Amino acid sequence: MGNFPLVLNQINKSFNDGDKSIKILKDLSFSVKKGELAAVIGPSGSGKSTFLSIAGALLTPDDGNIFINGKDVSGLSDFQKADVRLHSIGYIFQTSNLVPYLKVEEQLGLVLKMANHNTEEKSDHVRILLISVGMEHRSSHYPHQLSGGEKQRVAIARAFANDPDIILADEPTASLDSNRSAAITGLISRIVKKKNKAGIIVTHDEGVLPFCDRIYAMQDGQLLEQTTKRGTNNESVQ
Amino acid sequence: MEMFSLSFKEMRFFKVRYLLISFILFFIAALVFIINGLANGLSMDNASSFKTMDAEAFFISSDAELRLDRSNIEIGKTQIESSSAKIQPAAIQMASLKGDDNQKLDVTFLAINPGSYLEPIAIEGEALNGNNSMVVDSSLKNEGLKIGDVLEDERTGAIFKVSGFAEHQTYSHTPVVFISLDFWSGLTNGKVSFLALQEKDQLIQDKITKAADGIWAEKEKVISGIPGYEAEQNSLFMMLSFLIVIAVFVLAAFFYIMTIQKKGQMGILKAIGAKTGFLIKSTLAQVLMLTVISIGAAIGFTWLAGLLLPPNIPFVFDIVQIIKYAAILCMVSLFGSLISSINIIKADPIQAMGRVE
Ligand SMILES: Nc1ncnc2c1ncn2[C@@H]1O[C@H](COP(=O)(O)OP(=O)(O)OP(=O)(O)O)[C@@H](O)[C@H]1O
Ligand SMILES: [Mg+2]
Repeated sequence: MGNFPLVLNQINKSFNDGDKSIKILKDLSFSVKKGELAAVIGPSGSGKSTFLSIAGALLTPDDGNIFINGKDVSGLSDFQKADVRLHSIGYIFQTSNLVPYLKVEEQLGLVLKMANHNTEEKSDHVRILLISVGMEHRSSHYPHQLSGGEKQRVAIARAFANDPDIILADEPTASLDSNRSAAITGLISRIVKKKNKAGIIVTHDEGVLPFCDRIYAMQDGQLLEQTTKRGTNNESVQ
Repeated sequence: MEMFSLSFKEMRFFKVRYLLISFILFFIAALVFIINGLANGLSMDNASSFKTMDAEAFFISSDAELRLDRSNIEIGKTQIESSSAKIQPAAIQMASLKGDDNQKLDVTFLAINPGSYLEPIAIEGEALNGNNSMVVDSSLKNEGLKIGDVLEDERTGAIFKVSGFAEHQTYSHTPVVFISLDFWSGLTNGKVSFLALQEKDQLIQDKITKAADGIWAEKEKVISGIPGYEAEQNSLFMMLSFLIVIAVFVLAAFFYIMTIQKKGQMGILKAIGAKTGFLIKSTLAQVLMLTVISIGAAIGFTWLAGLLLPPNIPFVFDIVQIIKYAAILCMVSLFGSLISSINIIKADPIQAMGRVE
């Protein structure tokens, strides 16, 4: 289990739709390895975001277990889950979801401060992170002064700020054109590899797949690995 | 500390929004404080003589309905003198004084024992001396009265001579004229309106109650029995209460709308690991900063207003009462923001995932 920061075991999740309940995830089991970026594809409404929310301790499954760094988080309180999210998980959302009133460096500073990192090493750490996403020259800009791609870079830096073991990205490139999309996915993939993180990226964008190590499709409430694409994918990366 | 810094950065960014709410808070607070100052001013203008009097309780007729000018105590002089120096008899009477130029002045006679603690300190001229001397409220200087002037009491025809001026001596919005009780008794068959007691003392009080017909009333009761006093204070207090109720609704509504707008933001912050408690504390810290700054400015403004108001508008800046109202307003705005914390609790971190802003 040590090599698998995220393990989902027999997850079920239904939503009530009027008087009948619809089962979105059925006995879903899934795990992701350190240093690996997994892609999740599937039709709209198939449950990809639901899966990612459960994996990210944002949503509680009806039954099943989620192990984050070997620790079962299914039974934790909201307060404890917030802590798990703060320390072990980095999120990259479809829209960058930056805090509008914080400057770029403060976006990262906030998550560091919430995790009680000491101030001395913090500013260095923020600078290094911003350099790694190529945004250090924008460190005192507000989000509204940045382009879509730039915002997403800051969001990536923020996701990695607390050095989490798991990176979850839900359609991070949906609002970008294909060139930027490739650049952003390349960036996520590079940092995941370099820092030896476990990454999951949900996407509709075919252009994202070459950067991923494994590709899963959401089908009938389960994640099935697409072996055929995996081969071509591995070749294109190497 | 971090919660203050987060809310400070938010206010720095949304300057106009927060300036607006600070102004609303400032104006409400300033209005509350100024009305309080006017109420104090009116109360001083009405009853300063009894507000500044060094007495804690008064013995008055039980049928006088707390009005000193209707009270009449039947008690022997020796009985008073034998009980305590803290007991002082006094007579009060509305009167009209006429000067040599036929100018008429409406005043209130307060007949006391010269040299007792009931006699005010003259800031100009001398204390009571001789039978027909009088120490008068300094507002009469504005009517052209000078030391040594001689006036006639219309009712009794007695002649009085101004020996000194004292500050803050009014009763029912008329200037008080202090005269000698012995002299006054000679003109009015020894009438005593009330007894004053310097410090409350159950033994003395019981003794007096046995010796004469009447009841003991505390100073505040007697002051509110002064004609017009209650009506003035109540209407101003009414205004104050309505203002505070309005403040509750305005501030609660304002903070509620503000947090509704921030709900999405709060969801995102929760998704990246912020705890609900931290977000609530941070919002409260923000409201506290706004409130303290706005109310502080309003206190300063009220103080300035007190200095700049023309002297014919009585205004008293009472810092103790103002701090009391400031604390109430602080509570009101914290309460308003606490209600809106429901929005923060309800903000769902899930909103951030898989949804477009
Ligand atoms: N809170 C909810 N209440 C009811 N139904 C929900 C809720 N959240 C999601 N669903 C339903 O669950 C299904 C899966 O939703 P989900 O957002 O996971 O899809 P998705 O695969 O991410 O789709 P997309 O590719 O369009 O983002 C949808 O049919 C959706 O309507
Ligand atoms: Mg989705």
